[in-house]
Amino acid sequence: MDMIANAWLIPLFPLIAFVLLVAFGRQWKERAAYVGILATAASFVFALLVFFERFVEGATDYINTDFHWLTFAGEKITMGFEVNQLNAMMLVVVTLVSMLVHIYSRGYMRGDERFPVFYQYLALFTFSMLGVVLSPNILQLYIFWELVGVCSFLLVGFYFYKPEARAAAKKAFIVTRIGDVGLFIALALIFWWVGSFDYSEIFNKIAAGAIEEWKLTLLGILIFVGAVGKSGQFPLHTWLPDAMEGPTPVSALIHAATMVAAGVYLVARMYDLYLASPVATEVVAYIGGFTAIFAASIGLTQRDIKRVLAYSTVSQLGYMMLALGAASAAGYVAGTFHLMTHAFFKALLFLAAGSVIHAVHTQDIFEMGGLWKKMRITGPVFLVGCLAIAGIPPFAGFWSKEEILVATLDSGHIDLFVVALIAASFTAFYMFRLFFLTFGGQSRGGSQAHESPGVMTLPMIVLAVLAVIAGFINTPWKPVLGEWLTEDMTAFHGGTHGAGWVTIVAIAVSVAGIALAWMMYGRGKMPAEGTGGVLYRVSFRKYYMDEIYDTVFVKPLRAIGKGLHIFDVWVIDGLVRLIAAFTRGIGGVGARMQNGQIQTYGAIAFIGLVLLIVGLTIAGGYVGQWRTIFL
Amino acid sequence: MANYFLIILTFSPLLGVLLLAFIPKSLPGTVKAIGILATLVPLVLTFMLYANFNLVAEGMQLSQQWNWIRIPIGEQAIPITFEVGVDGLSMPLLVLTTVISTMAAVAALSINKRWKEFYILFLIVEMGMLGVFSSTNLFQFFIFFEFTIIPLFFMMGIWGYMDRERAAMKFLLYNGVGSAIMLIVFVTLFILVGTLSMEEIRQLLTDPMSPRNVPNLPGYIPDSIRFGLFLALLIAFAIKIPVVPFHTWMLKAYQEAHPAVIMISSGVLIKIGGYALIRMNAAFFPEWMNQLSTLIAVLGVINILYGAVLALVQDELKQMLAYSSVSHMGIMLLGLAATNLQGFQGAVFQMVSHGLIAALMFYMVSLVHERTGTSNIRELGGLAKSMPMISGVLLTAMMASAGLPGMSGFISEFLSFVGLFGVKPVIAAVGALGLILTAAYLLRAILGTTFGPIQQKHESLSDAQAIEVVPMVVLLSLVILIGVYPAVLSEPLQTTLQNIVPRIGG
Repeated sequence: MDMIANAWLIPLFPLIAFVLLVAFGRQWKERAAYVGILATAASFVFALLVFFERFVEGATDYINTDFHWLTFAGEKITMGFEVNQLNAMMLVVVTLVSMLVHIYSRGYMRGDERFPVFYQYLALFTFSMLGVVLSPNILQLYIFWELVGVCSFLLVGFYFYKPEARAAAKKAFIVTRIGDVGLFIALALIFWWVGSFDYSEIFNKIAAGAIEEWKLTLLGILIFVGAVGKSGQFPLHTWLPDAMEGPTPVSALIHAATMVAAGVYLVARMYDLYLASPVATEVVAYIGGFTAIFAASIGLTQRDIKRVLAYSTVSQLGYMMLALGAASAAGYVAGTFHLMTHAFFKALLFLAAGSVIHAVHTQDIFEMGGLWKKMRITGPVFLVGCLAIAGIPPFAGFWSKEEILVATLDSGHIDLFVVALIAASFTAFYMFRLFFLTFGGQSRGGSQAHESPGVMTLPMIVLAVLAVIAGFINTPWKPVLGEWLTEDMTAFHGGTHGAGWVTIVAIAVSVAGIALAWMMYGRGKMPAEGTGGVLYRVSFRKYYMDEIYDTVFVKPLRAIGKGLHIFDVWVIDGLVRLIAAFTRGIGGVGARMQNGQIQTYGAIAFIGLVLLIVGLTIAGGYVGQWRTIFL
Repeated sequence: MANYFLIILTFSPLLGVLLLAFIPKSLPGTVKAIGILATLVPLVLTFMLYANFNLVAEGMQLSQQWNWIRIPIGEQAIPITFEVGVDGLSMPLLVLTTVISTMAAVAALSINKRWKEFYILFLIVEMGMLGVFSSTNLFQFFIFFEFTIIPLFFMMGIWGYMDRERAAMKFLLYNGVGSAIMLIVFVTLFILVGTLSMEEIRQLLTDPMSPRNVPNLPGYIPDSIRFGLFLALLIAFAIKIPVVPFHTWMLKAYQEAHPAVIMISSGVLIKIGGYALIRMNAAFFPEWMNQLSTLIAVLGVINILYGAVLALVQDELKQMLAYSSVSHMGIMLLGLAATNLQGFQGAVFQMVSHGLIAALMFYMVSLVHERTGTSNIRELGGLAKSMPMISGVLLTAMMASAGLPGMSGFISEFLSFVGLFGVKPVIAAVGALGLILTAAYLLRAILGTTFGPIQQKHESLSDAQAIEVVPMVVLLSLVILIGVYPAVLSEPLQTTLQNIVPRIGG
């Protein structure tokens, strides 16, 4: 069967699930989960079939843009879907993680009174995310891009009665909106400069050299602004850690594995544009590199298990951007490859963290400890996740991170290469700090922890397996994924051609990070944190970014608002009241003048005439002069 | 019937007035039922109009004209005709009028005094609105326009909250000034051109062969006079839209009037301003529309940002919505200022979209107000617990208002901004900042109402009742329909705008 031509079915299943859950969720109660699981499982199977058709049978790119959506000033805007290497891979990642999270949530969300609503949102999210990936044009991508944002907002605010959840949801929406406006402007400019939103049209125009470089640079940066918002890059990263107020399965699916990677996906999808604009790619590389180390340095000191993971997500997304910023086929492969491996091990880490929270009812790692013996599945899979993200061979993260380092070095960014290495050691350190504090030593919380039910551990085990083996799809000696992803690109050289020393150095810094964590936190040691001086405080308070934004943007804006409010009430409306009072006064005077005395009438008529003449003289009796005021 | 279709449509609300005249006011149930049923007649008629609309025909459809009165000027007696017609621009607004009217009629169920008078006035206003959008003659336009203002003045003054009379006075004062300016312009045009038919005026003023356009010929109208007329019309309609600084009448009205009145006012009436800018300013004085487009764009940006920043600090939900309307009408102005097809398309989309969304938002807030007795954010919160349905719809309406794709607001914002980016990218970029502020003020207000901890006294409040669900479902469905399949609106618009826009030559 020609699966690729029917790829539109993949998002259809979650959409049907969403509609069903909206209609019948209340009656179904916790059985709602099965609808969601079934739908995502169907999507996953279809996505696999599509992937194999593309990967094994070598089908060509497929684009369908038959649906006439809007007539746009004579231009027909169409909607449709496409299948190519990149999104075939994304389809599998999204549907797989989504299915696993659907299964896991059956256990995690048990007993919640809004259980069916949760599954509604999850289904809508899965539909929207698949929409992002399948879009054949950037306008359609934007539509789904916003929809995933709304789902993220709804799920962050799922515990709507908590003030923190409300604040976090609000922040997530507004901060990503800032980025979205960049993308929005890019869309408007694309319409005028390209005349079409279709990727293929855009790339054709670029290839033909029909667009000046400054325009490409501007477009590249504006699109990247959108990606910065969505993928939590500096300086719009602040919403992502706060988004951890949402239920943990959501953090795994949306705020680690899929949605936040949409920014990376977008840059990758628009890669032809970035290749054509060195300035824009430099911006991508430096923002990515900076975010990688910046977020990692915050992760070093956080106490909340989910926040450590959140900063780690921000940092890893920075790595992906850094790779894409290398402006080479190797960078492209490294970035998307890391996107995939990260989706697996980060979803794993979050689900495992959820399992821990489920067991100990706290998120403070200083109140945990000693869980290794009590959680015989969660502990080992969490360790697998830590090893993967720390870049220890042969776990998945090692392969993809090494590719990133090589691609960065090849692109000539020695500075960024060093930054990425330091960030790698930070990553290893904070992950194992997390691991030792949570699972090592003795219990400090005193609660009776227990292993989670099978419905939760099974998805974790699946992800753990993937976190071990997924890297082998793209090894330096057999870069299967890379060759496949770039088979249409001529610049790809195949495999890594960096020196072997990069591998050794990369492993060394990771091991060093782990060793330091072991020295500080191993065997149940608990260094007195919080007295670590200025650097510690700055990291713990996240570089005071929230406070800075509050002082620089939020407070002044509210002050302006208050000021304008007074202006509106007293000046604008006051003027109106004054005119009204004045008119009433004139009316009163006029009434008194109607006194029947001919002298008064004469005087008024005379004064009126004088005023008229004076007025006409001053105004020149010619309205035309008004023009000069307005033009 | 085709000949008389628009006449029948325009005056069809009067059928209800006639029926109501025979119903004793001691039967509130019957009066209200007839009031609502009477709005279904024009509703069905406009749907027929939509279904039978000719998508490719240029110019007016179903147009008719009769000699009405003769005005003696000197030796001559100049006839004033009564003429109607509909094109792609007015048809969507006619549909909007009847939809909003029916929904507002349902919202008016909560009226607890003098319901008979209310519904009679209500139906007269509906007739006025239908008349405004089906008129192709300035005189008639003006008469129907007044038919929307005077009854609405009484509706504001009699039904509503504490300070309603002052609100009504303010409404009348502003709209009266607007009407007066409009009348002066119409009379001047009549004297200069000798006709009140919109199409004839347009031809006489824009056809290069017309004696009005050839200098040194008698009857030539100099640029300065055209400029003056353009500016006067702009001010008259700016009051209606409203454009800052003419917006303060709206604040008071939103706060004090009955929700049904605001649904009509915000849903349909203020759109007359934008409609007339296209119908008159752009059609009669295309060169000035083009030359002053920067001014209009700047006014639009001011509306967007000023409205948004003020909405951000309001504690009263109704005031927030009033400033939000100001801000959203700024987007419409941006579309008009683009003077290209995309922009005009966006402006019309924004009229329809904002009409639906504003009516829905205000309706939802009024439901909250009815139950809790307040619309102040500081006294609200957590309502999603006791009223999941109302809160859910309010949240969805908020998303629509914030321009979420998949709903009508996105299409209108996108088209308007794309239009303006094509000609004035810097102004457009400044205006785009408003999109962030919009999200900020909406979230602050709506999440403040529905999220967070709930007040104890609000815990046992009831959710929406069946009849209250009707306006929610209808309005939301239309918002989503336009958002998902915008061709329902863009197709009828296409031909008409393709005729109007090139004349401006932007």
